[in-house]
Amino acid sequence: MTPELDPVIHAQARLRVVATLNTLADGDQITFPGLKDLLGMTAGNLSVHLSKLEEAGYVEIVKTHRGRTPVTYVALTHRGRAAFEGYTTAIRELLDTARAPASEET
Amino acid sequence: MNNDDQALSPEEMLRLIEQQETETVSRLTPNPVPHYLAWGVAWFVGFGALFLRNGLSGRPYVEIPLGVALALLFGLMTLAMLISAMTMWQLGSPVRGASQQRGTMYGFSWFFGFSAMWVIGVRFGQSLPGPEQSLLWSSLSMMVVAILYMAGGAVWLTRWLFVFGAVVAVLNTIGTAAGPGWHALLISVGAGGGSIVTGLMLHRRLRR
Repeated sequence: MTPELDPVIHAQARLRVVATLNTLADGDQITFPGLKDLLGMTAGNLSVHLSKLEEAGYVEIVKTHRGRTPVTYVALTHRGRAAFEGYTTAIRELLDTARAPASEET
Repeated sequence: MNNDDQALSPEEMLRLIEQQETETVSRLTPNPVPHYLAWGVAWFVGFGALFLRNGLSGRPYVEIPLGVALALLFGLMTLAMLISAMTMWQLGSPVRGASQQRGTMYGFSWFFGFSAMWVIGVRFGQSLPGPEQSLLWSSLSMMVVAILYMAGGAVWLTRWLFVFGAVVAVLNTIGTAAGPGWHALLISVGAGGGSIVTGLMLHRRLRR
């Protein structure tokens, strides 16, 4: 009866990345340095996690230019949003089933 | 294996999600306190001056020339608009996309709304006696404010922003019907005082 937890999201760092991106409005993108500051991660570390999320199709990475400087924007895809929603639902279900028998005993 | 990759218990994961969400929202949302205080002071002082000048029964309590009272009101409102623009515009925000477009269009709505008010006020104000002229300017400006606050509530789905706009619209309607003195009193205390109180309440809530 244990709900499956999405292994892509079920890791501290990636969960924080996805939770942060999920608070942005649908259709919004955040710069890579902006996201890095919000998470307090190193650029290298964040890159690794973002490419894993991109492989899963959860995150969209857009490389563009502002004037001559290259800028990278990151956003959650619809699939990523759905996966995060599914993950939080699964976590809540797990917590509910864990609590239910304990409350019956008392 | 990297510490970041470790999975926590469901409780800890849920807490992590909540922490991250609160942190992100508080860092990406502009501080609304200066906006409310600036507009509150502008209305309280500006309409307060108009109230003292007009008086409830048409007899002034303090002799203030109309030009001075209106210059005070619109000067303070221009200052408030600058403060709002500076805090709300969020230059250097790392986010782009839909919410940025929403903010830009909303900002332009204020500009076009007040431009229209200005032309109407100048065109029709000339033919009115002093107190009526001040009422024309006051009611037009508060109509623009009320509509845009309600629109802001609709755009960002912020109920209290909509409610504040609706209250201003009602006060503006009643005040305009009752006359220049009453209008200035209602807007000074209701909209000005209300905005200052909202600003202080938000300040206390955000500091916690």
